[in-house]
Amino acid sequence: MLSLPNFAAQAFNGLVLGALLALIASGLTIIYGTLGVLNLAHGAMFMVGGYAGVVAYQYTGSYLVAVAAGSLFVMALGLLMERAVIRHFYDRPPEDQILVTFGLGIVYVELVRLIFGSLSQSMPPPSWAAGITSLGFMIYPTYRLAVVGIVAVALLALYLVLYRSRLGMIVRAGIEDAVMVDSLGIDVYRVFMIVFGIGAMAAGFAGIVNVPIAPITPDVGESILVETFVVVVIGGVGSFPGAVLGGLIAGEILSLTSMVDPAYSQVMLFLVMTFVLVVRPRGLLGEQGRA
Amino acid sequence: MIEARRGIRGLAFEGWTALALVVAPFVLPKIGFVPDTMNRVLVFGLFGVGFDLLFGFAGLLSFGQSAFFGTGGFVAAYLLTRMGLTSVMLGLAVGVVAAAVAGLLVGMIALRRTGIYFAMITVAIAEVFFFMENSPLSDYTGGENGLPGVPGPTFNFGFASVHVTGGWSMYVFLAVCYFVGLALARRIIASPVGRIFVAIRDNPLRAAAVGHDVHAYKLLAFVIAAAYAGFAGGLLGVLQGYMPPEAFTFDTSGQLIMQTVIGGLGTLIGPLVGAAVWLYLRDFLQGSLGMGASWKLALGVVFVLLVFFLRRGVVGGVSDLIALARSSARAPGKAAPGGGDDSPVFAAASQNSGPAPPPARDPGEPEIAGPILQVRDLSKTYGGLAANSEINFSLERGELRGVIGPNGAGKSTFFKMLTCEINPSSGSIHFEGRDITNLGVTEVCQLGLSKSYQVNQLFTRLTPRENITIAALAERRGKFRLDLLRNPADIPGLSQQVHSTLALVSLTERADVPVSGLAYGEKRRLEIGLALATSPSLLLLDEPLAGMSPRERAETVKLLKSISKGRTTVIIDHDMDALFEMSERVTVLQLGKILVEGTPDEIKANAAVREAYLGGVLE
Amino acid sequence: MSLIEVKALNSYYGDSHILFDIDMHVERNEVVALIGRNGAGKTTTLKSLMGIVRPSAGSVKFDGLELVGLPSHAIARAGMQLVHEERRIFGSLNVEQNLVLAGLTAPNRWPLDRVYEMFPRLKERRDSRGTDLSGGEQQMLAIARALVRDPKVVLLDEPFEGLAPVIVRDLVGACRDLAAAGQTIVLVEQNLAATLALAQRVYIVNNGHVVHEGPSRELKEQPKLLERYLGV
Repeated sequence: MLSLPNFAAQAFNGLVLGALLALIASGLTIIYGTLGVLNLAHGAMFMVGGYAGVVAYQYTGSYLVAVAAGSLFVMALGLLMERAVIRHFYDRPPEDQILVTFGLGIVYVELVRLIFGSLSQSMPPPSWAAGITSLGFMIYPTYRLAVVGIVAVALLALYLVLYRSRLGMIVRAGIEDAVMVDSLGIDVYRVFMIVFGIGAMAAGFAGIVNVPIAPITPDVGESILVETFVVVVIGGVGSFPGAVLGGLIAGEILSLTSMVDPAYSQVMLFLVMTFVLVVRPRGLLGEQGRA
Repeated sequence: MIEARRGIRGLAFEGWTALALVVAPFVLPKIGFVPDTMNRVLVFGLFGVGFDLLFGFAGLLSFGQSAFFGTGGFVAAYLLTRMGLTSVMLGLAVGVVAAAVAGLLVGMIALRRTGIYFAMITVAIAEVFFFMENSPLSDYTGGENGLPGVPGPTFNFGFASVHVTGGWSMYVFLAVCYFVGLALARRIIASPVGRIFVAIRDNPLRAAAVGHDVHAYKLLAFVIAAAYAGFAGGLLGVLQGYMPPEAFTFDTSGQLIMQTVIGGLGTLIGPLVGAAVWLYLRDFLQGSLGMGASWKLALGVVFVLLVFFLRRGVVGGVSDLIALARSSARAPGKAAPGGGDDSPVFAAASQNSGPAPPPARDPGEPEIAGPILQVRDLSKTYGGLAANSEINFSLERGELRGVIGPNGAGKSTFFKMLTCEINPSSGSIHFEGRDITNLGVTEVCQLGLSKSYQVNQLFTRLTPRENITIAALAERRGKFRLDLLRNPADIPGLSQQVHSTLALVSLTERADVPVSGLAYGEKRRLEIGLALATSPSLLLLDEPLAGMSPRERAETVKLLKSISKGRTTVIIDHDMDALFEMSERVTVLQLGKILVEGTPDEIKANAAVREAYLGGVLE
Repeated sequence: MSLIEVKALNSYYGDSHILFDIDMHVERNEVVALIGRNGAGKTTTLKSLMGIVRPSAGSVKFDGLELVGLPSHAIARAGMQLVHEERRIFGSLNVEQNLVLAGLTAPNRWPLDRVYEMFPRLKERRDSRGTDLSGGEQQMLAIARALVRDPKVVLLDEPFEGLAPVIVRDLVGACRDLAAAGQTIVLVEQNLAATLALAQRVYIVNNGHVVHEGPSRELKEQPKLLERYLGV
């Protein structure tokens, strides 16, 4: 029923979902923008982050340790993946790159399933964000509000790294002209590796932060991957602001349309993606050039 | 990649496959295959035939084939269970049509983009179709329960009636379906359409530039793959007696891709082999070794390794071994590879005047008076940079014009606008009296204007003969034709045109060597040959002499002079000696504008030209 | 020992054989020019020195170090810098960021003040994005970016092309000052007057071969040599 509290709750849900999607999509899009590689294992890395964090929580009982563990583990996985596999595919056709990341995604999922089984794992929210908050006209789970803040901080950190740090400067120059960066004495492959690690870490961070909201199974990565792709197409491939904007839009679409009929929310998202593709193929904030 | 067909002549492929299908029920159960698994292998093998056509041959990596697998399957199942249709074959046929229509609609959206974007969109499509099945359409599809009660087909042979249920009768039915599907796919690959698919995969830019409607062909490949998927989906329902919602999952698409890569891309039977490996290992690892769910992990690792090292999969690896065994058994004495400059062929061809070049395209109407090409105020700006400014250029029929200019003069940009590879910012281009501005490279080529590229744009996985054939196919058949089952040998004049073009560029002896094995000079000649095979009335040549040794230069100049007879030709090059020798008139570009035009002698003596090349006034 | 010693260098572009057994040497504090027609292989030579094009055969010794086979970033760290014909400045970064980035891995990088002293115009435009700069400013930035690394050798690929005469005059002056201060420069340029004004020694390149080598004075005095090799 369309009541204000209901609507507001869904709008907030959309914000939470949108923030998470924005973060995950940012990771995917900077990997693509810099390396030119579409990481089909990105959803799986979201999932791995969740599991790594849960394991850390089971040992330490600390939310913060869990978040750190989830993020760092996936970052390490990303660095290793780039160094051992992706690096050998830069000269190969894009389909080969897609296939190998796809395969690795499957391997990660099955490995996790082997170790943890298919039942879901969960983790409670931290004590300082547990329970519900009253917002006057409605009540809302505190943790979800906290997530919006947490992800906003993460996005801000990502922004600072990309636009205000030396590394970010190198990355942005590398997106434009990797050969020139190499000519200026900077080992561009090392930059690629770091970018892949950062992009992966964004997914892993989102993965663990999401666990208190929705318990994690090995298969959660799949639907996240699809939604992330849609976000990237809407926002524009290779654009960090596009990923953020696209994420927020997608989150709200998914949430609000699910009020009307839960079944239609995915379809609605797809329709919006189709619309963007037809009307503005490079996405809302994307640049012409890449694919 | 050299397709399997190269090592397999005539109907031997179909013969071996038929034999294998007949023998399998007697052999495979001994190593642990049960009938149900073998039937499943056939269904997925058929599903994969369409996918291999799409990806292995046409180069389009789609993660969304499950959408059509499910559509075909559920439409057929719905008709057969809820609508009371009795003819199973009719139900399957309607399923195929439904899947093909879905493929057309989806393809029109997805194919707006290429490569990475295309892959992403197909992933999204798979999910959307699954959702549609699961919820909004669950009344029709049974939601998570699927549609039970799908009947097996009954065949009336007059004297007897056979009802196919499970087990071996199902195997026979499915094997026949698979065989028909495979044989059809073989025909398609051998047809002009199939050849064009392969060319599109290799070099879509050049395929469009020689006159093929690349988008239409891609859409056709997509629809065909969807139809195969729909047929296989329907068969799945018949096989299981039940249509499962899992048909629609992204997982199913992923499984298909992995099976095809494991079995071997571009082989057509790869998916069958891959499915056999996949399902056998699943049963074996899960059942016998009790490894539970980790069979998929093992297969995932195998898949990654194969993508790394052996993209042609099991079938590819086996056929490579066979080829290796054959060639070491063959007596030495093959013609030595390479030998561009020094091959006797080149010398022989240059002694006489050589065969007549393919004629320029017949304009159809009586010759239009006036210049063949008229360019007015043509400009192209990129941001603030004016690559070409207000170029006025005209060309008389039969002229041989040279175009020169220092670096950055805008010569290549000018050519690209003439062939409509890029659109001008302003101005117009009239070719044979017709306004061709913004028409697009395929259309313009069909009208008789084509170009040979500065950097070779060849179909590198094919031989020179196949390269020329691709261009000639567009010239003979127009930009799109639905001749899926036609034998190229039946196209009138095709082989004659290919033969004479090859002879003209002196590649007859090397016509069946893959492009990767050619010397640089030979590749350059093939590049010119490709443009020639489209029978242009106006031929543009962008730096045809680039990177050639002095001897190759001299020979190529002779070639260019001979092919310019009977057509209009424009040549850009930096080798001014050669250009002045060949051209009747020369146009000089500088900083995007025309500096001066005149005869070679006039240009040589022109002070402004000397200055443009040698430097400004600076003390 | 020459600063740069090139022996029997062969390079391909794809499979187009561009350079055929190039022999060259460059001494410290020299300004050497490569002239020749378009497509002669001058740019390919510079790119081969910088490792952007991997030579297929031959050797390039830079202060004793063999460069052939090294990645560009290693060659840059050895003290070689190339100013590309297309300039290739980073349009999404501003002037100062372009300079800072260039200096990151250079141990003796120039302080920004020194750069701005040489190119006051760049100081005025230090916060402007690369895409907003004029052609001349972009060229200045490209040269400044190379100099920030305090390179042993600067390779300049057609630095004066497409620029207004006034700007060319300024740039030639800047290059003259650099040379006078001892910077070793290898210059590829179509503008003959500028070339002869700056270079002490000239190589003429034609169709991928070195066809002549001599002091620039010689070319000034015998313009017929140029006609013979450049043909216009």
